[in-house]
Amino acid sequence: MKLSEILSEVKAKVLVGEEKIDQLEFEYIAASDLMSEVLAIARPSMVLLTGLTTPQVVRTAEVVGIQAVVIVRKDSVPSETLEMARACGVVLAVTKMTMFEACGRLYNKNLKPVWGA
Amino acid sequence: MSITEIMNHSVISVRPDRTLRQVKEILRIKRISGLPVVDSSRKLIGIVSIEDIIKALEGGYIDDTVENRMTKDVVSIESTATLKEVIEFFEKWSYGRFPVVDGEKRLVGIVTKNDVMMALLAKLGLVYLHDERRREVLDSPEYFARSLLTGERLDKSGADFYFSIDYFDINLAGVGASKLRQFLLSKGVDEKTARRVSIATYEAETNVVIHSGSTGAIYCFIKPESIFVRVEDTGKGIEDVELAMREGYSTAPDYVRELGFGAGMGLANMKRCSDNMIVMSKVGAGVVVEMEFLRGREAKG
Ligand SMILES: Nc1ncnc2c1ncn2[C@@H]1O[C@H](COP(=O)(O)OP(=O)(O)OP(=O)(O)O)[C@@H](O)[C@H]1O
Ligand SMILES: [Mg+2]
Repeated sequence: MKLSEILSEVKAKVLVGEEKIDQLEFEYIAASDLMSEVLAIARPSMVLLTGLTTPQVVRTAEVVGIQAVVIVRKDSVPSETLEMARACGVVLAVTKMTMFEACGRLYNKNLKPVWGA
Repeated sequence: MSITEIMNHSVISVRPDRTLRQVKEILRIKRISGLPVVDSSRKLIGIVSIEDIIKALEGGYIDDTVENRMTKDVVSIESTATLKEVIEFFEKWSYGRFPVVDGEKRLVGIVTKNDVMMALLAKLGLVYLHDERRREVLDSPEYFARSLLTGERLDKSGADFYFSIDYFDINLAGVGASKLRQFLLSKGVDEKTARRVSIATYEAETNVVIHSGSTGAIYCFIKPESIFVRVEDTGKGIEDVELAMREGYSTAPDYVRELGFGAGMGLANMKRCSDNMIVMSKVGAGVVVEMEFLRGREAKG
């Protein structure tokens, strides 16, 4: 599924990397608020959903090669986090939707979990 | 495991016509405590130890030749011996080192208790050294100078990559690992290996920042077959490494958890990403994590 479609499904606003959202496509989604968990399950071809807004989230994504991060249940994201995303070339988007709803909607669209995939 | 995998192959030896004074210099420069004596065909004919040198200094015969003062009935091990036999040797004799000889009594190596221990550590992949033995290793100057995994002397200044973890801001945690990833890719290391290395290094680096209460360093050596990473700190250390390794165990305070750390998965992640790993720690002195990643292979599990 195209990243642009994924983002509109969860009503997310793109903060960094707008120009890439029509090119990138993903099959897998992972949702986590734990860095070590992200590191443990991540694969490059997935979108990360998280409730964290720290620059750390972006760095963690970068280390495992995740190209897109969606921050849930937030209005805004600290500027350091945006800068980090720009520096790492990671697409960053934010939505007010809860984690539960965002996951439910994407699951409905046949996006797959990374576990056992 | 055979003794040839454990022993030190580049053994330094001395000829019988040398003086004890010369031996003293070799011991001092090479920081070793004994030298096998060999004849012109490299046959083992004796051994001189630091005790012999001390006696020579006291007795005033330091300029005497090695031949006159060496221990002639030296106990050596055959190069066909197994690890088990080597351990039995150390139990039977109280010597700290044994020369290793081939079928013709020619010197081919030397083995110390330390070599045996390091070999066992490397073999097990991950070990926590207890009490006496642990203290022995940690207190020796070798602790920070030798690789726990390979037993080799580490020339840290010759590392291909070095990063000083000299910050305490959790928001910066992972900078070193991220730099290392870029560096590895720029050196032509394949994506997957670079990814495994950076994930594991990221975990180790964040642990230094979050838990050690001190600063640390990342060293990386690129070898033809593998990538070797060592992350060390001089912080408070880990009391029970076995417990810390358990998935889910964490002592992270709440504010750290709010930042997404403290799942107690870091060490388990490192173990999973690497092909070999050793964690060694002494309370109050710090933690050393060494990891080896075979190149061009997928992560375990
Ligand atoms: N460098 C270190 N210095 C002191 N203690 C450490 C160090 N590294 C790990 N520890 C101890 O080991 C525990 C487990 O570490 P581990 O990395 O597995 O989990 P964590 O850091 O608590 O959580 P996570 O890595 O999932 O964010 C830590 O909570 C801490 O008590
Ligand atoms: Mg950790």
